[in-house]
Amino acid sequence: MSDDTRFVITIADHKPIPCETDKTVLENLEAQNVEVHYHCREGFCGACRTKLIKGEVDYTTDPLAYIDDDEFLPCCTIALTDIDIKIEY
Amino acid sequence: MKYTTFNQKRTNPLVEPMFFGNPVNVARYDQQKHSIFEKLIEKQISFFWRPEEVDVSKDRVDFQSLSDSEKHIFISNLKYQTLLDSVQGRSPNIAFLPIISLPELETWTETWSFFETIHSRSYTHILRNLFTDPSNIFDDIVVNEHIKQRAGDISKYYDDLIFYTQLWQTQGEGVHTVDGEVHQVNMRELKKKLYLCMNSVNALEAIRFYVSFACTFAFAERELMEGNSKIIRLIARDENLHLTSTQHILNLWQKGKDDPEMAEIAEELKDEARAIFMQAVEQEKQWAGYLFGQGSMIGLNEEILCQYVEYIANHRMSAIGMGQPFDVTSNPLPWMNNYLNSDNVQVAPQESEISSYLVGQIDSEVNAEDFGDFDL
Repeated sequence: MSDDTRFVITIADHKPIPCETDKTVLENLEAQNVEVHYHCREGFCGACRTKLIKGEVDYTTDPLAYIDDDEFLPCCTIALTDIDIKIEY
Repeated sequence: MKYTTFNQKRTNPLVEPMFFGNPVNVARYDQQKHSIFEKLIEKQISFFWRPEEVDVSKDRVDFQSLSDSEKHIFISNLKYQTLLDSVQGRSPNIAFLPIISLPELETWTETWSFFETIHSRSYTHILRNLFTDPSNIFDDIVVNEHIKQRAGDISKYYDDLIFYTQLWQTQGEGVHTVDGEVHQVNMRELKKKLYLCMNSVNALEAIRFYVSFACTFAFAERELMEGNSKIIRLIARDENLHLTSTQHILNLWQKGKDDPEMAEIAEELKDEARAIFMQAVEQEKQWAGYLFGQGSMIGLNEEILCQYVEYIANHRMSAIGMGQPFDVTSNPLPWMNNYLNSDNVQVAPQESEISSYLVGQIDSEVNAEDFGDFDL
């Protein structure tokens, strides 16, 4: 079902959810009631750090928080492809 | 090595380590070894706020209506936060500035400390509004056993690093005897002290503030002490940024992206660093016990607060490669996120607080009485 505006987020231990590209990944997760930790929603605190296993995302703002090579910040990214993620509680 | 306020030797700050390289000379920001610190400075300055811009006058009325146990919770938290920011307002400057070698990190440290002084001033603003004479509150901070216990752990790593840096900068490496105590001063030892100190600061910014934050926002959930809550939101936003900076420093060391010797030390002192964090978690839980010792408050109790400390510790510890030691899978206080979201922080407090900003605004408050003489 991948067109340019709608991708799929596959989450470890959770069913896959749709992902709209006019919303951040965090907003997409919240729309489907997936619990993600967040604080600032602006990319500077790192509370929403999540593992990106497969796929690509694009940052809407320059992230200041520390993120490892295999991680991303759902609060300030939009999906560019279908993505596989693992949320750390 | 003797400290100099302007190092006349030509240095290249692009190849210096963050700490213990050549002292900084020209404060230039056109080029950066670690550009993150320059970005953090910009972000932090964009957050500038003044405590006086937040109207806390309604809090005085709210405070009178609190139960004795709630008053104890509220005031004890303010005391503890006053302690934390008293330490943070001076210590990064005194401990880190003399040994920093990068201009962007030097200025970040000064910017960071400056904001901690805004926080300290805001506690005075809050307390002066609640009490005609807040002296008793301030005086108790240095005699209260529960606060002193934390103060010792918070300041000891700073003090140790500061003392050894002073010995090194005045007497150089070697064995020095001061007041009958023998101190072995060498670069490895100094760097170890720096590493432990940075971990202690990280733990402070990561979790020590959050017990107080949770209590403040629990009052705000009941629409009590809202002026105070507005100030604490601004403080929480700043603290999140400060935490980001110490996480970056620790990760730059651990991943060998700065001083290679610091990467070795990070590995060597892994267990000790983790113990500092676990000790902070333990102390914060004890603090929650002290807060609720005289009775609970609506919406919050000791157990749930301790779970929140563990939950937040899991997140903070995994950010610096310490794993997630606690078994808490979901956020026990989900409403906290709303208060820590920077979108919800009023950008310009003065717009709602100073009447002159409301020129041209109409009175939009409508009461049932306004329809009293209305007939169909």
